[in-house]
Amino acid sequence: MRFQLLLLLAALVAAPSATAQVRITGIRNLTFGPVIVGIPGSIAPSHPTKSGQFRITAPLNSKVQIRFTLPDALTGPSGAQLPITFGSNDAMAVGTAPGSTPITFNPKATRNPQFQPSTAYDVFIGGTVTPAGNQQPGSYAATITLTITNF
Amino acid sequence: MRTATVLSAVLAAGLTVGATTAEAQTSASIQATATVLSAITVTAGNNLQFGNVTPGVNKTVAIADGGAGTFSVAKGANTGVTLSFTLPTDLSTGGGDLLPIGSWTGGWNTAATPAGATLFTPSAGGSNTTVNAATALTVFVGATVSPAAAQAAGAYSGNVTMSVVYF
Repeated sequence: MRFQLLLLLAALVAAPSATAQVRITGIRNLTFGPVIVGIPGSIAPSHPTKSGQFRITAPLNSKVQIRFTLPDALTGPSGAQLPITFGSNDAMAVGTAPGSTPITFNPKATRNPQFQPSTAYDVFIGGTVTPAGNQQPGSYAATITLTITNF
Repeated sequence: MRTATVLSAVLAAGLTVGATTAEAQTSASIQATATVLSAITVTAGNNLQFGNVTPGVNKTVAIADGGAGTFSVAKGANTGVTLSFTLPTDLSTGGGDLLPIGSWTGGWNTAATPAGATLFTPSAGGSNTTVNAATALTVFVGATVSPAAAQAAGAYSGNVTMSVVYF
């Protein structure tokens, strides 16, 4: 019995952790660049250089759920707030496998990407900032977080 | 021994089920960034004035001349702008007589003087200034008119329009 328990423990220790195999990396900031007071500025998730980008890697057929934590505003000089909104098509996911088709989705909703045939997904996000007519000039920033729940 | 084997199997199954239903979270963050700039204002200054011209004799107004056209630009600090122009090819009396104008020259400066201005050629395609801390620019415009030998006498004019956008 001792031998069997040892075998069981050894197997459990040796078993790879599914959690450890799922990785997410922030690749690129969502960059609106210069926006003019009183004029909204938008970036589409398909923008090749300014959209935000994450990369998720997971074993084939992994079951995961992704969820954004989104800001309501960017913070600027002296705590000034620059409103930011996200539309229902402001997120996009595409697998890295050849022939993968980009899928747009609502970044305010959860999503369950299928890791088949791709084992890596790029998730892009766009959005719209709306500076007021009297918005204080300067640099503004906020954090966008993408969380994976691994089942 | 048999009891021990069954117990081990049950224990293993229980642990396996537990591992399957366990949820784990991992996350990563990026930044959303924007730079809010003040609105650009463009103000027409001096007209480009050639004064009297002689039929058959070209006349040039350089950007450093008193007759140069000027525009004032107010922009955000630490920004660069693109200066684009809509330029006439002729001045007109309004009665059908035309006076060709071309060879446009330009210069922009953070001071209100053409001395030390950065030279450029005004065009519809636009010219970029450098990114600098200044919030005010002065733009100077010159050109050459080419009256024909039989140019009809009269007063000729045309519009020079400058548009400014951040780049």
